[in-house]
Amino acid sequence: MTQNRTRGARADAPRALPSPNPARGRARTARRPRKPGRFLPALGRFSLFALPGLLAYTLFVLVPIGMTGYNSLTNLNPFNPPTQFVGLRNYVNLLSDAEFHQALLNTVIITAIITVLANVGGLLIAMLLDRPTKLYVLLRGVFFTPVVLSSVVISVIWQAILTDDGLLNSALRGLGMDEPPGWLSDPDLAIYSIAWIMAWQMLGFCVVVYLAGLQGVPRELNEAASIDGAGPLQRFRNVTWPMLAPALTINVVMLLITGFKAYDQVRVITNGGPGNGTTVTMAFQVVQTAFVSNRIGYSSALAAVMLAIVAFISVVVLRFLQKREVSQ
Amino acid sequence: MNARPIVATFVGVVFFLPLYLVLVNIFKPSAAVVADPAGLPFPPTLDNLAAVLNRPDHLFTFGLINSIAVTALSVTVLTVFSAMLGHYLARSRHWAAKVVMGTLLCGLMIPVPVIMAPITTVLKWFDLMTTLQGLVLVNVGYYVPFGVLLFMGFVRGVPLELEEAAALDGANRFRVFWQVVFPLLRPASASVMIFLGVWIWNDFLTPLIVLGPDSGTTVTVGVYRAIGQYQSDFGSVFAFMFLATLPILVFYLALQKNFVKGLTGGAVKG
Repeated sequence: MTQNRTRGARADAPRALPSPNPARGRARTARRPRKPGRFLPALGRFSLFALPGLLAYTLFVLVPIGMTGYNSLTNLNPFNPPTQFVGLRNYVNLLSDAEFHQALLNTVIITAIITVLANVGGLLIAMLLDRPTKLYVLLRGVFFTPVVLSSVVISVIWQAILTDDGLLNSALRGLGMDEPPGWLSDPDLAIYSIAWIMAWQMLGFCVVVYLAGLQGVPRELNEAASIDGAGPLQRFRNVTWPMLAPALTINVVMLLITGFKAYDQVRVITNGGPGNGTTVTMAFQVVQTAFVSNRIGYSSALAAVMLAIVAFISVVVLRFLQKREVSQ
Repeated sequence: MNARPIVATFVGVVFFLPLYLVLVNIFKPSAAVVADPAGLPFPPTLDNLAAVLNRPDHLFTFGLINSIAVTALSVTVLTVFSAMLGHYLARSRHWAAKVVMGTLLCGLMIPVPVIMAPITTVLKWFDLMTTLQGLVLVNVGYYVPFGVLLFMGFVRGVPLELEEAAALDGANRFRVFWQVVFPLLRPASASVMIFLGVWIWNDFLTPLIVLGPDSGTTVTVGVYRAIGQYQSDFGSVFAFMFLATLPILVFYLALQKNFVKGLTGGAVKG
């Protein structure tokens, strides 16, 4: 067996390891009937090197995606058999599901807020910290720390601060405010608190990516613009900002996706409340419907819609922003 | 221009306040946390930390062991699997490789909640639900696309001539990979290990569902379980969080240079 494999590797080495220059690899084997000779070694290597990773990926991502798609067309509920094929009924029901509309709205609110806040804040702070001395390097670390922490930990910290008798309201009462806001208990306010917490955590990510972008702006460009009489604002608009286009692309796409899959913060801090689902996000509704109400079929339809939105963002927004990069 | 260090320090301090509150209140008795949350802990007490370590339900200690086992195992397997798959995909010109690449790219953007329910079904087929092995396998499957993508970029930087030379010298595919290619991929391995180590340690939904409510859980889920019990005893909660975060923070700080480099390397065209 080992013998065989060794000989095989030696025999097809030039072919099995395709070179960037195809003529070189082909020279010796061009006249041979190519099809089986090319296909089989490829498959052989395929099974050896690609299979373990692919198998796990197939079992725990591809198969589940297929199952989500199929289940979304059924009324699957493990505690309420029999399971029937219901066609698109789950999707039709979604259209008139008030909780789904609320979840969609909440998700859009969170996504919009964190995308804007973390990007604007991240850019400003990156420009502030764009100096090589020790102080600024230390501050970069400060801003990046929450990115490394678990969103569960971040949620618990902010819950302790924002809860009704929490650290912030104690301080506000100390300052003489009689009825400080219920940051997490006011149904109109809670969703914005959640968004704020997520933006705080993601800020450091934006800072680091913008800093990397800023360090890629050639000093000569700014000097040249300066000699030509451009003020700081003009230099930013016409020199720095266009050079930051790739950084903006990464940050926007990353934050949009983070916003659309928001789950941990809601689960830990408000569990969907206060009131009737005022902080329920799409991801939260998907999980609750599947694991609390056991309506797997309906949950799968929700999941499919969520996936479609995330895919749309990933592909369309990415394309749009990348086109913007190229045109500059 | 001279205002920059002052403004920068001020913004940094305000940003850091929540973390400062955690750090000081770990070392205060409960009464002091409520009375004076922002003050420095004098005299400091280690009661909160000791209480977490000596919990009668071992929520922390067992969680820590589980987290270390799951993270170490997942990251090791992921590094090897995605290096092999990434190497294959970067070198192969077979049509199947392109198809696989496309499928993996799609997998990068799938949020966990979308596939959580079917994942439990698949785990039940193999009787792996509520087991650490099951959690490791789910992690491997879910994070493989990220690892592959990172490795592919690095494999392209390894000269093909090295592999050809080794093959001509009689090394079989495994030796070519293990003794020539894999050692050259060390920077990529470091990035993959740091990224995935931090992510897997911090994961919440996957261990919450896969390990279930009855069996032991990871420290991160432990934090979530602990807040329900402590109610508003912030000192204890913070102590639990601090101890749960410490290992991964040390791991991260030890390899930090690679992490930030990996985060932006190749991502931003300079």
